[in-house]
Amino acid sequence: MSATATVSRPAGQESSRLKVVRRHPRGRIPTHRPITGLTLVAPAVLFAVAFVLVPLVFAIYISLTDWPLIGKYHFVGFQNYAQIGDDQTFWHATVYTLTYTAIVTVPILLIGYAMAVFVRENKRGATFFRTIFFLPYVIGLSTLSFLALLELQPGSGAINAVLHGLHITDGQTAWLVNTVPGTAAICVLVVWAASGLTMMLIMAGMQGIPSDVYESAELDGAGWWDRELRITVPMLRRTIAMSLILSIIGSFLAFNQFYILTQGGPGTSTTTVVMWIYERAFVQLHLGSATALSIVLIVVVALVSAAQFRLLRVKDDK
Amino acid sequence: MRSLAVAGALLMALAGCGGAGVLPAVNVSQAGFGEHATGTVRLWVRAGMAGAYQYLTQRFNATHSDVHVELTVIPDTQYVTKFATAVRGRDVPDVVGIDDINSTLLAFHDSLTNMTPLLRQLPFRQQLSPGHLNLATIGKRSFAIPVAADVSVLFYNKEIFQKAGLSGPPKTTAQILSDARTITHKVHGVYGYSIAGDNPGILGFTGLPIVWASKTHLFSGALNDQHVNVGHNTALRALLTLYRTMWVQHLMPISDRTDSGATWGADFRAGTVGMWPGNWASLAGKIPSNLQGKIGAVAFPGVGGGRSEFDGGDNISIPRGAHNPSGAWEFIKFALAKQQQANLPASGFTPVRSDVYTAQFRKRFPLDAVALANLKSGYAEKTLAYNLAINQTSSPFTTMITDAVFGGGVASAVGGAQSGFERALQEAED
Repeated sequence: MSATATVSRPAGQESSRLKVVRRHPRGRIPTHRPITGLTLVAPAVLFAVAFVLVPLVFAIYISLTDWPLIGKYHFVGFQNYAQIGDDQTFWHATVYTLTYTAIVTVPILLIGYAMAVFVRENKRGATFFRTIFFLPYVIGLSTLSFLALLELQPGSGAINAVLHGLHITDGQTAWLVNTVPGTAAICVLVVWAASGLTMMLIMAGMQGIPSDVYESAELDGAGWWDRELRITVPMLRRTIAMSLILSIIGSFLAFNQFYILTQGGPGTSTTTVVMWIYERAFVQLHLGSATALSIVLIVVVALVSAAQFRLLRVKDDK
Repeated sequence: MRSLAVAGALLMALAGCGGAGVLPAVNVSQAGFGEHATGTVRLWVRAGMAGAYQYLTQRFNATHSDVHVELTVIPDTQYVTKFATAVRGRDVPDVVGIDDINSTLLAFHDSLTNMTPLLRQLPFRQQLSPGHLNLATIGKRSFAIPVAADVSVLFYNKEIFQKAGLSGPPKTTAQILSDARTITHKVHGVYGYSIAGDNPGILGFTGLPIVWASKTHLFSGALNDQHVNVGHNTALRALLTLYRTMWVQHLMPISDRTDSGATWGADFRAGTVGMWPGNWASLAGKIPSNLQGKIGAVAFPGVGGGRSEFDGGDNISIPRGAHNPSGAWEFIKFALAKQQQANLPASGFTPVRSDVYTAQFRKRFPLDAVALANLKSGYAEKTLAYNLAINQTSSPFTTMITDAVFGGGVASAVGGAQSGFERALQEAED
């Protein structure tokens, strides 16, 4: 039960509720029948069971078979999991995905934060810039990837034309056919596309910080940097953590931009984990093996999220 | 805990229902099969061949009142997945147009009806494209029938050849190189040759016929027990050396390196390329007026002569478990009839019946007639691993050709490719 609810109640009601809680260590409130709570949560629980739990159990079962996309299947126990260790492409994809995550996460946060600082106050033009900054996220990564595919073409793409006009390149750079320039192009695209969401989250958090905190700090002689580093950032810790979690999970699950722009190539050098899972399932037609990889990915993402939440909670406790 | 175990058992039981993965066979021998059918025939086709089926479907529906064909177009890359999902869901279409290189895979996994008895009924069965039919035949049983071809041939610009002082199209790979060199050096603003260097599907479609014309193949042996012939394949090395030389000597446009297929053939249609390995579908209705009558075509030459072409396109079949197989067979027979086949090139595709090749056909579709005339020398690698080994961006073929042509060179690229092809084959056969 939230502290806010407790504080908003009249003093008399609060004290009686505390007594009730003491008499019922499990926290049941006798003013409502238990069936009421169960009824209220039942739809959500049913949806979770039908669309999360059952598919998950079924996916685990598939991962224990040699389930092909076409044809007969057999139960193979943990063979698919055991083979993951020998799957060199999967490990390469894992390292590549982690590298990509490491490259894009910090710029997304810093640029998102900077943009939030720029537009957090309701000054003239703030709405315009908020819209401009958030627009790439609204357009969506897939659409942006297709646009980038056209604009990165050597000879005809706008990006090459601009670089050629600035005498930086000869305008014939084949950005998407080699590993490093392809990855660089995707990272720039993703940072541009995803920073808008981080900006919105952080801006909302900034606007929730009471102005009297800043006023007190100013009276104490705190400068702009002091206020940012000692007030804004600490008070936005939850928001920043949430932005980081969303950004990191999004990067772990990267697929569209790579599928559209590099198709994982050359070879498998820009293949992400999810792309490799897709390839195992729908190109190599090994659904059992692909599902085992998916289960591993689910566990890893869950662990990373849990770790981040735990770190946040530890800090809160302190 | 007990309820969880029950749920798990239920799931396994449900999975077990579909575990066989094989739908009931269609009885093709019943009286009146394929005649005077009624109802709706659900036809699934891939987007790349949709033009052919739109033509066939429109004509069929216009001439049949009791049975109606309902056409569903599926993106090429999703086709096998969608069909496999339909098989798993036990709700398949009545007739499927299948990329012929995938027909081997689908036949191998018992998804399709054994069409052999129906094939025997066709009086023109000997005239059907042997290369296409081979891809859908396992042992002595044919699981699909050729319906519309998409064949690769070598197109050349006669006017550019004349300006370069060349008498006719090349007869060997060495002549392709010398012609490309002559054109590039003698005709201002024109390149000798052009490929789609970033599209493995097109590279295989337009490059492998040179290997086959040289009387070698990449895969050999019975399905599920095949061998790879890449590391010591001299014809393959010759192909890669040809491409690399043309690239290094600037006999191909620089944009070839990044052509993912989106602009494939545009340079040839613009008159800035002398030779273009392509297909009729990329030219049909798109030849500019200044090039009308100035384009020639030949099947690809091999290292020491010979000719071949890639037998691409579709085979057609009735899936096991189809609800209206009789209507499906009526449609297939209609699609294979001479009149429909003779008109296929108007929609960009090549007939699969050699008896359609007549003087009238040659006059009406002179460029496509070359593909049709060479159907008997056409080929496509028959393997369960075609997609894995060649068609995908991550395939060993892509890595090999990229390294050989645009990277470190032919020797190192081919040396490392054998094991990559073997891994792909093993994956496909697992």
